[in-house]
Order: sequence, then C-alpha cells, then structure tokens
Amino acid sequence: MAVFLYNGNREYSYEMLVDNINLHREYYPLYKTDDLFAYFENLVKAIAANRPLTLLDSDLSLSEIEGLDDGAVNIPEQLPDAAFADIDAVIEAVKNSSSEITIFTSGTTGQPKKVIHSISTLTRAVRISEKHNSDIWAYAYNPTHMAGLQVFFQAFENKNTLVNVFNMQRNDVYKAVAAYDITHISATPTFYRLLLPFEQPCPTVKRVTLGGEKSGSQLYDSIRLIFPNAKINNVYASTEAGSLFAAKGDCFQLPAALRDKFRVVDEELLIHCSLLGRSESFKLDGEYYHSGDLIEWVDEAEGCFRFKSRKNELINVGGYKVNPSEVEEAIDALEGVRQSLVYGKPNSVLGNIVVAEVLREEGSELTDVDIRKSLRDKLQDFKIPRKIKFVEEFTLTRTGKIKRL
Amino acid sequence: MEQKVLEIINNIRATKDLAPVASLGNEDRLRDDLGLTSFDLAELTVNIEAEFDIDIFEDGLVNTVGEIYEKLQK
Repeated sequence: MAVFLYNGNREYSYEMLVDNINLHREYYPLYKTDDLFAYFENLVKAIAANRPLTLLDSDLSLSEIEGLDDGAVNIPEQLPDAAFADIDAVIEAVKNSSSEITIFTSGTTGQPKKVIHSISTLTRAVRISEKHNSDIWAYAYNPTHMAGLQVFFQAFENKNTLVNVFNMQRNDVYKAVAAYDITHISATPTFYRLLLPFEQPCPTVKRVTLGGEKSGSQLYDSIRLIFPNAKINNVYASTEAGSLFAAKGDCFQLPAALRDKFRVVDEELLIHCSLLGRSESFKLDGEYYHSGDLIEWVDEAEGCFRFKSRKNELINVGGYKVNPSEVEEAIDALEGVRQSLVYGKPNSVLGNIVVAEVLREEGSELTDVDIRKSLRDKLQDFKIPRKIKFVEEFTLTRTGKIKRL
Repeated sequence: MEQKVLEIINNIRATKDLAPVASLGNEDRLRDDLGLTSFDLAELTVNIEAEFDIDIFEDGLVNTVGEIYEKLQK
C-alpha cells in the first residue's frame, strides 16, 4: 500500500496510522502541534469516533482568539475502544462521521471567528475513483486551514501519499517533487511564485491547482514551463463555505447543480446558507451570505465569471487573510502607542504585505523592531506588519473614502 | 548601494532574532544562506523599492545577493 505521509526524512504508512488509531484511544479536542503526522492522526481519530475537534495553528497565540480556554489545549480525552480492521474501515467511518470541525476565519471585524463544519461540507469537493489511485500529493498548505483540509481529505480518501512541502525552501520543493514523483500540487499563487525563476521542468506533475488569491497570466505562463505535463486549474474555497467551484484558466464556472445557490448583487457573490458551515458571526441577508468577493461575468448564461477584488478590507497576504482591525487592536494595546492604522500594500512576492502607520505617544522611543517583536506573542507571523511607518498624524482615514494604498 | 542592502537584510534578521551578517557575498542565497522566508522577501522588496525605486521581484524571483545587485545596477 502507498505511504501515507513523508514529512522531512520521516515516513509514515497507512498501517501505522490505523495502528495508532486502534492503540491510543485518546484524542485532543483542542490540539496545537508542529508534528504533522500527530496532527493528522488526531484529526482522523476524532472524526472516525464522531467527536468534535477544534483546529489550532501551531504558531497561534491563544490571546488571538476570544473565548478559547487556554487550559483545555492539548488535554487528552478518552475515546471508546475501537478496532478498525484496515484503512478502508477508517475511511468509511470518516465518510459517515457526524463530527463537527471548528476552524477560524479572519472575520471582518475584530478577532478571528469560529466556523463549524460538518464532514460533508469539508469533503464536498473530494473525488474518489480509480483514476486517483496513485496520485502523489505535495502538501503545500497550512493543515489547519480550509485549503489544507481539502487536500488532506482528497488524498486520504483515495489512500494517496502526501509529501509535506509547506513552508519549504525552493530547492527542497524541487527535490521533493523529483524524489517522490509528485503528481499533484495544490497551493497558493505565492507558493508557485517562489518556485520562480524557471530552472528545470518537473515532468511528473499532472495537475497543478491554484487557490487563495488572484493570480496573473504571467504566473500561469511560468507555471506551464515548470510543469509542462500538468493541467492547471484554479479553485475557489473559503473558510466559510469550503470548496465551491474550480475552473480552468482564470475563469470560474458555477456548477449547474448549484446554480440556484448563488446570487450576484452589486457585483458581489452571495452564497446560499445551505452551503455554509455554522457560525454566530455570519450575517445573513435573508438566506444568503455576502462573500465579500466582487466578480464580473464572462458568460452569465453559462455561469462563468472572473474575480475582480474583495469588497471588505481583509488583506490577502500570500493567501492568508489578514483583518486590519485585529492588527490595529494589537498595536494600539502596546505601551507607547497612541493609535495605529493598518493596510495592505501591493507586493510582487506575496500579492500584498501588511503595512502599519503608528502614532507614538509623546516621548516614546518605540522602534519598528520593538513593535514587531512585541507583536510576535500576540499575532501569527503573517499578520505582523512588515513595514512600520511612524507618523505625526494620519494621512488616511480608516472609515473614510480614501483607499488603503 | 551594497552597504544599504546589507543594512536592510540585517534589519530583517534583527526582527527574527538572527545575528547580523558582517558582509554579503554575490553567491549568498537569500533563502538558504541568509534565512529569509517568503514574508521576509516581501519585506526586502518593499525596503529596497523605498530606497532605490526598483522592484527587484517584478519579473520573477531573485535568489542571490548578486542578482539583487544586478537588478539595482540596471
């Protein structure tokens, strides 16, 4: 049988996963770990036992999330005995699970918000067939985020091999693709940008998927050079709704079966609530959820459209969504800071980077390095401003019409 | 120019609690040798653009210090 996971120089088989699930009958409802195999084991174990699970990033500071009990993190809970005969039995249990999985969205105001998903929303886009028997996946997403879960379930339910390349150096990615004969990669445009400039083709790769941010046609051309035998497609997934539609090129098509679940009002894509996870933070407009994504029709009758931009203020940093209010709150809480303004600035590497303008209290000698170091205990790395400007007054207003540039 | 690039890179290293490097060689790789992540590279472009008005990553990534100098000398 195929290997389940390659992580660094460690190799984990599907048998090992089954053995661990059968032998260690406890799991962590709130789990924070750097160990990818332990993370997957906990995930599968919880789901196969119909238990709830909250997914936390390994670099998350618990103060980032309201209402999360510090004391409950990494505390095991006993599970009833189980004896799965093999991985197929585990996969069956996962498919039929009533587990609820909680993940976090960047939210549109304040701190990250919980979204609760059933296994059926998380696995909506999974395709199981013989055709996928020998897929070998580069695992290039954060495992606790929606996209990482999508790739995991696609690979796991087909008993494919996952090769962890998340946050890997460029040369190591190339090496891994060649060493493991990787056939499938799903990643953010930033991941592919970091593989540039083109040096050598990767002929084993058959399918390349981009998601998470807007990408230009120049990037597609470069990807075609690196992966000459790959079909390239794009996927639209969100923390709120999971994977909704994929498309070739830079256009998306609403699937015919789901056509009546979408509406477009003032260019904004609205999603029917039946496609969403559960969250107290969703503000529904009737039965529809405002996605905040602005689109333009390419062919309205066929349901083909293209993304234009985002309506709200979330900053897309290499596929991670950053809420400026959350970062401002964290900066404003620092000693020596009177007020801050956080916004995104277009960037050739990450799409956007987070910039902060900071008004210091009189006499404060706070430096940009001080601020960034203090923020490390409060915010995940991708949320920390990469440029901090000290100002005497704000030239931009946060709620006004002046654009964040 | 080389001094300025050194300063910018050492500033980024300082926020990551990495010791400053004394000098840069043309062959130094930004990621493997200098320990910069994609987020750090984004920061590097912003600071170099602020100083020299050139986006070094505009048409594909640069990998070494020498490639940065090349872009800045154009």
